Amino acid sequence: MDRQPLFKRKTALSYKTEEQTIVRGYNVSDLAEAGYTFYDMLFILFQNRIAAENEVDMLRYETGEFLEHSMSPSAVSAIGVINGRPNLPAAVAASVMTFGSAHGPGAAHGYMMHKYIERARVEGKSIEEMGKILVDEYMDAGLAVMGLGQPQHLDGDPRAEPTHIKHEQLCSGVYLELQRSIEKHFNARRKKEGKEYVAVNMIGAGNTALAELGFSPTAAWCIGCVCRGFSCAAHATYTMKKGRAWGASKREPMVQMLDLSMIKYVGPADREVPSQAERQAYAKKQKEEGEYKKWII
Amino acid sequence: MDNLDDPRLMYNYRTREQGTIPMDEKRARFQWVSEVAYKNVHRIVARGYDTTELVEQGYGLTDVLFIDFQARIPLIEEDKMLNYVMVCMFEDGLSSPANIARIVGSGKTLLTQAAGSSILAFGHAYGAFQTFGKMLDGILARQAKEGKPLAEVVEAAVKIRLNDPALGVSSLMLKDPMAKRMIARAEKLGVAGKYVSLMKEMVKAAQKLSKEPVDIDLLGAMGAVMFDLGFTPEATWCILSVTRAFATGAHYCEENEQEEPVRLGQTLTPKEWYDGPADRPVPTLEERKSVAKAIEAQTPDEWKKIFLERQKIKGSGWAIVEEIDDPKRKI
Repeated sequence: MDRQPLFKRKTALSYKTEEQTIVRGYNVSDLAEAGYTFYDMLFILFQNRIAAENEVDMLRYETGEFLEHSMSPSAVSAIGVINGRPNLPAAVAASVMTFGSAHGPGAAHGYMMHKYIERARVEGKSIEEMGKILVDEYMDAGLAVMGLGQPQHLDGDPRAEPTHIKHEQLCSGVYLELQRSIEKHFNARRKKEGKEYVAVNMIGAGNTALAELGFSPTAAWCIGCVCRGFSCAAHATYTMKKGRAWGASKREPMVQMLDLSMIKYVGPADREVPSQAERQAYAKKQKEEGEYKKWII
Repeated sequence: MDNLDDPRLMYNYRTREQGTIPMDEKRARFQWVSEVAYKNVHRIVARGYDTTELVEQGYGLTDVLFIDFQARIPLIEEDKMLNYVMVCMFEDGLSSPANIARIVGSGKTLLTQAAGSSILAFGHAYGAFQTFGKMLDGILARQAKEGKPLAEVVEAAVKIRLNDPALGVSSLMLKDPMAKRMIARAEKLGVAGKYVSLMKEMVKAAQKLSKEPVDIDLLGAMGAVMFDLGFTPEATWCILSVTRAFATGAHYCEENEQEEPVRLGQTLTPKEWYDGPADRPVPTLEERKSVAKAIEAQTPDEWKKIFLERQKIKGSGWAIVEEIDDPKRKI
């Protein structure tokens, strides 16, 4: 049995021999025997350190609440993919890959915070002042301030403010101070403009806590998105075991997700297919008229 | 309209309807149906438990895995055991998921592409928890049906699967105690059950039948313990593949920190690694008419001959033969 790695890489993360697996210098089996948890492993791997108990408590809290979010884009992906009945990992992988610039954009929020904390340091300003500067710069440029608002939880994400409070209790620091300042100045400005209050979301709350715990923007993003993969897996497994494959059966009492009646078509009207003899002239005219351009995506 | 006017077609292509199907008013409208979770504007609820209330009470990710997949709060010992398994599963060096994440990441992708794609490494050989679980359930079902001693049923099952990568017994962990320690911990915590017992019988049978030294491996230990914790083979497959995906995020980071991104067309394949047909001239399209001929079998004998020839073509897929469920099979 060939046990050589597929390609050569120097790595500071881990090594594996026939005798043991070592992560950041620690024998993994010994870590498990000593009672370290999954939360500890995240600190060890991403930060090369054993975490303090309060830090583990914060990570347990955050990952526990972030895991399940019912109907969201990532769960839709998992369910959509499993409708075709591939192997389950395909559906779970798709759910994790759904996270991008709209759904859970954690890394960008982290980089934004780093940039403005660094500016506070260099420009000799307080974090509180820098929160206002950040809000003004983003809003003046017509950009969305990251970490605020959620399309489903209109009165504020039910997890977000409790996360801030837990964060205050367990590991408060410069990130939370900046995030709180952003929320304060963002809503003050909206109030002045006669706009309604917008609460912090789970990027603003959760990602801020992960940053305070020492996770880089990318590591924090990884933790958030992959964590959701667990619940998407549950949704995919439920659909696989108790739902109809394909999602279009006429025998189900409820109209299915992929029933033909769910299609609303708003594209070009039905039209004759030109013969090959007509094709060149047809295509030339179509190109000249340019009507097709409004449909380009 | 050419073949579309063929009378064997089951309807007339010229008169078929146009436009979309109207809304189906006779059945209930489509809704998101779930036994797992719901949310409203102010709450997220998993299996009846408000998730914010759960974490405020001190429950964490591993507890929520029991809630999502089993609709129950785990015993403290069960939560400890799940953590133990997840710690051991978390990272494994330059393994397939890590490699995939690094390769995907080297194209300068989003982290989510890399971590997500790492999950695709899990199949019916690597991390084959679904296959493994179905095998264990099959053995238990056969034993219950036939009433024979477990050891006898296990030996028969192991005999035909001795080299199966999803057996859970192999030469992989002969020098590494991790798998055996996991079983011992499950017993110590009082969470070991029928799957751990079955696994022990399988190890005994495999050791008796194998010419080479073998012992329980990570698939066997993790799978048996997860099933005794009440997770189905499918849930286990998901939970442990996602557990590894966290660590592949670190591989993605390291790849991006240490290595240059890989560009389209950059990677070379040495000619000495190539064992396909010798270099040859491309025929002109005119020459194609005389050089190429279609291959269609007209009889089963011809088909078999072509089939065997095709199996010699590396990379064609013809040499991969998978067993599908036999409808005549009883168990």
